[in-house]
Amino acid sequence: MSTTKMSKSLVYMKRYWILYAMLALPMAFFIIFRYIPMGYIQIAFKNYSIIQSPWQMEWAANHGFEYFIKAFSNRDFLYALRNTLLLNFLDLLIGFPAPIMLAIILNELAFKRFKKFTQTVVYMPHFLSWVIISGMALQLFAPTTGLVNILLNNMGFESIPFLNDPKYWVATYIFLGIWQSCGWNTIIYLAAIAGINPELYEASAVDGASRLRKIWHITLPGLRPTIIVLLILSLGQILGSEFDRPYALSNKLVSEVSNVISIFVYNNGIRGLQFSLSTAVGLFQSVVCVIFLFAANALAKKSGDRGIW
Amino acid sequence: MGFRKSMSILTVIIAFALVIAGCTSDKPAPSSSPAPADSTTPAASNNSEGSGDARLEALGLDSDLKFKETRKITVEIYDRGNDGGTPPEDNFYTQYIKDGMLRDHNVEVTFVPVPRWTETEVINNYLAANQAPDVSLTYSYPTIQTYANMGGVLDLAPLLEEYKDLLPDMWEYLTDTNIYWDQDPNTGTLWALEAKLNILNRINTFVREDWLKQLNIPAPTTLQEFEDMLVAFKDNASTLLGADADKMIPFSTSFDVGWRADHLTGSFVPNDITDKDVFINGFDDRRFLFPNYKEGIRVLNKWYNEGLIWKDFPLYPAGDTTEDNLMKLGYVGAFMHNWDYPYRNGEDSIHASLQRLVGPDAAYVAIESFPNDAGVYKKFLSGPVDRKIFFPATNKEPLASLLYVNWISKLENRVFLQFGEEGVTHEKLEDGSLKTIAATGEKIMNSPANIDYTITSNGLDLGDPELTVKSIANGYAGVDSRLIEVAHKITTNQGRIGQNVNVGEIKAEDGQGQALKEKRDTILNKAVVAPVDKFDEVYDSGMDDYLKSGGQAIIDERKTAWEAIFGDKTMLD
Amino acid sequence: MIKSRSHKIGDWVIAAFCLLCVLACLLPVLNILARSLSSADALVKGEVLLWPVGLNFDAYMTVLGDSKYTWSLLWTAILTVIVTLWSMFMTVMCAYPLIYDNLKGKKIILAIILFTMYFSAGTIPTYLLLKELHLLNNPLVLIIPNSISVFYVIIMRSFLFGIPDSLRESAELDGAGPLRVLVSVYLPLSMPVLATLALFYAVGRWNGFSDALMFMSDRTYFPIQLLLYNILNSITSVEVATQEGFSSPGLSETIKSATVMFATVPILLVYPWLQRYFISGVTIGAVKG
Repeated sequence: MSTTKMSKSLVYMKRYWILYAMLALPMAFFIIFRYIPMGYIQIAFKNYSIIQSPWQMEWAANHGFEYFIKAFSNRDFLYALRNTLLLNFLDLLIGFPAPIMLAIILNELAFKRFKKFTQTVVYMPHFLSWVIISGMALQLFAPTTGLVNILLNNMGFESIPFLNDPKYWVATYIFLGIWQSCGWNTIIYLAAIAGINPELYEASAVDGASRLRKIWHITLPGLRPTIIVLLILSLGQILGSEFDRPYALSNKLVSEVSNVISIFVYNNGIRGLQFSLSTAVGLFQSVVCVIFLFAANALAKKSGDRGIW
Repeated sequence: MGFRKSMSILTVIIAFALVIAGCTSDKPAPSSSPAPADSTTPAASNNSEGSGDARLEALGLDSDLKFKETRKITVEIYDRGNDGGTPPEDNFYTQYIKDGMLRDHNVEVTFVPVPRWTETEVINNYLAANQAPDVSLTYSYPTIQTYANMGGVLDLAPLLEEYKDLLPDMWEYLTDTNIYWDQDPNTGTLWALEAKLNILNRINTFVREDWLKQLNIPAPTTLQEFEDMLVAFKDNASTLLGADADKMIPFSTSFDVGWRADHLTGSFVPNDITDKDVFINGFDDRRFLFPNYKEGIRVLNKWYNEGLIWKDFPLYPAGDTTEDNLMKLGYVGAFMHNWDYPYRNGEDSIHASLQRLVGPDAAYVAIESFPNDAGVYKKFLSGPVDRKIFFPATNKEPLASLLYVNWISKLENRVFLQFGEEGVTHEKLEDGSLKTIAATGEKIMNSPANIDYTITSNGLDLGDPELTVKSIANGYAGVDSRLIEVAHKITTNQGRIGQNVNVGEIKAEDGQGQALKEKRDTILNKAVVAPVDKFDEVYDSGMDDYLKSGGQAIIDERKTAWEAIFGDKTMLD
Repeated sequence: MIKSRSHKIGDWVIAAFCLLCVLACLLPVLNILARSLSSADALVKGEVLLWPVGLNFDAYMTVLGDSKYTWSLLWTAILTVIVTLWSMFMTVMCAYPLIYDNLKGKKIILAIILFTMYFSAGTIPTYLLLKELHLLNNPLVLIIPNSISVFYVIIMRSFLFGIPDSLRESAELDGAGPLRVLVSVYLPLSMPVLATLALFYAVGRWNGFSDALMFMSDRTYFPIQLLLYNILNSITSVEVATQEGFSSPGLSETIKSATVMFATVPILLVYPWLQRYFISGVTIGAVKG
């Protein structure tokens, strides 16, 4: 009895040892390159000085919350917060399902060569920088010289203010975001579909299942783990704020919707050399994102899926 | 091996990490008092005892101002990464500078390249790591002020006082005006030296000369005449542009309305505006806060709603070439821009393109069309200042650094760097003026007129003003020199050169520059495109927001600061 | 397999939709390609749609004609391969142990890793750290500081979860340790995700330049996108032109478009080669009793 137990725990230890050895290098990486610089996050609570280390800097007023207060009492920041949430929410609502549907459609494409070609082409927009895309957007959507509006005018319609009216601008913003990233995001779903056991499809074909039934009963469930993980991660970015897209697409006429947190930080924190302020805002964003991450993960687990942990 | 053991291992790792974070982040902070050892040497600046030689001895110099022991300094140099360029820290020109500094002062100079496009971020990194170049520079004074407030910049005032007699060339070129431009009158601290801006040319109003001829209109000289001209352009679009009549743009501007309508808005400012008001309202570099600015914008609003202004102007960001292309294709009748804008860039210039695509007569000519209430075509120009040179607090060789600034200001060195070798980077014309040749290979100039090396000077300067003007005109190949001369003359005609108002630091301005600038642009864009009856509402609510977001605080503090220094005076001497 | 009629109609509808997508994605890129090969005047006149007007290779000659750029292209390619291999190695080393549910301390390790995805302190502290480690100006600085992306670790981990435990157990019954299980069971079945993440890392490295901008001043090791970024800025930077009163003559529009080509084309060449890993048909058949 005791020998079996010993050999069992010996085997156990042997297994654990290798796993920990595998983790050693990655953990060292995270600690050195991610955690050590983190000491700097405390400048969110301190008065930044470029010649002092964060441990030496003096604490900010109001128990260190000075810069958070500064941010929240700034009306522009509140607008930025609202805009960020709005745009991210719409991105999620429309932009999250899009690559999934596209991946399924691509998977259903019957013509092999065309399928390969399409898969290759559809991720090309991902490589265009937002500066380039905004230039193209202007060429297409400008009120008087944009090709789309010229077409509309020729057909007797009024120009649509795609880029100069705030409401239309939001739609254009989301649409261009989807156009740019949808194809690229299908890659991961296509990879997931590739991992689905083809025997399942064959079996259901024998049962006489239609295309839609196959998708509903095989493909989607097969994608479910991937979808859940990516959804959790995306929800955990709900207050994240990319810079390139809003910066490139915005103009002065739509600033009330285009100014997001990243632009606020750029104008006030970075260009204004207010390091503590930018760090404080960043910290606030991170905390909110982590809260959402936890919540999304918990929800996922409740519905029986495997969360992130 | 159990849970507890793993826990404790992890705890140890994390604790270790935090300790390391503390240790590695700690670095010896430079002494908080910025005065370095040199300026407290016993050799008194008043030099009452003994001969000058004793003093020079104490500073480590011999009578020729050469250091006995070689000193080393680092100097910032912009790296533009331009195509076909030479390494900015090691090329023909750096060799000239290094040889010269070694020969004249026994100072070894090392250039530290900093990317031109991300300069602030990289200097931030260097400053934080205590490795900023001894001689650093930037275009933004608020940046230096911020660093100084953190204790990262050397105070130049005591140094200059002590070493003044050793720096004759610097004083001769920059003069007290530029050297003490940024001195704080309350504390006496001086964080930076101002380089000299040689050419104050700023903005011009351009109209299509050929169109005026075609429609038989004389060049406008008043606001009303200008407006009538724009209307004439619009009404005669088919004559002027034939099949492209629907592409007519009488007047063009960009999202930077303040810059692009400068002469117009300037003309609404009362001629007798006091220096005090100019200062108090001068935080915004487009004069947005000046009295009566709104009325100038109202004119634009009127023009926009009458179809006289390019409809899409607010949409295109800086650097976009759409507007330029419209000008090149000949659709634009008039605009305001940098003083030589249509003539720049040689073959790719608007002028050259017009000649190519429209016809040999097509050209933009500069005019004066916006007199103010006293009939003066007033131009608001910047002060004669350019880049700011500062020494980070880690600078251990302030005297050697100042000698560097002195050396680089000597006329012969400046001229050599700006013009290079005869026959290679310039040729001498009969009238004595110089003409630049774009060289390639090792003698190429990475920046125009080697501005990156001539840190105390921006703009061609031959020492003789007339020759200088001619040399400037030589730089526009293929452009009728008449056009350049007119443009050059008008842009500073009846100009009001920016005055230096030294009242010390305005705390309300801290960190505000970019944010308020963005607001200003938003207000102006929205106001111009608003329907005429909504103009006041849009402009006023925008201005209200601007003032509430910090604009008013700046105005108030400036006013207080002025009165503290100047009392009741409203004009500077 | 005989398809039903509705199935066939469905095929065509799908094909038509995909064609639309292809056009929507391809045409803009063709436009940019055309612009990069056109003359400056044609661009001014707005004549370029899908085909070059006034064909000239100036933009490309500028880049390819100078050995500085061809070296950088080669270097960036080498760097990309190294980074991809290294990062994939690290990612697998990180993700694999985390699928063992009974690994002690798993939750803490996960927490530590996930935390880094949300909290980071910015350029200055990273710069200081790299300075301490003497990594500045060392080519390793383009490889190591971004070795692992937590996002990709999570993705890989969830993928590995999809492989049935029974396979692992049967291998273990044969006496395989975790390493052998990884190599003989998981890796062969993870080709799609390995190919995907490799592609992501490769593209990220090929197109990335902000780390080189801040941490590398030795020009020999500049990635190609950094060189192109510099050219572009030296031609188009408006702020600088206003400050200095100068700007240089323009290949600007054509070079702008050419830089996009440099970003896209290499990936276009690599992707089809990777595509074979995305084909299903992975045999998950061998489940032992």
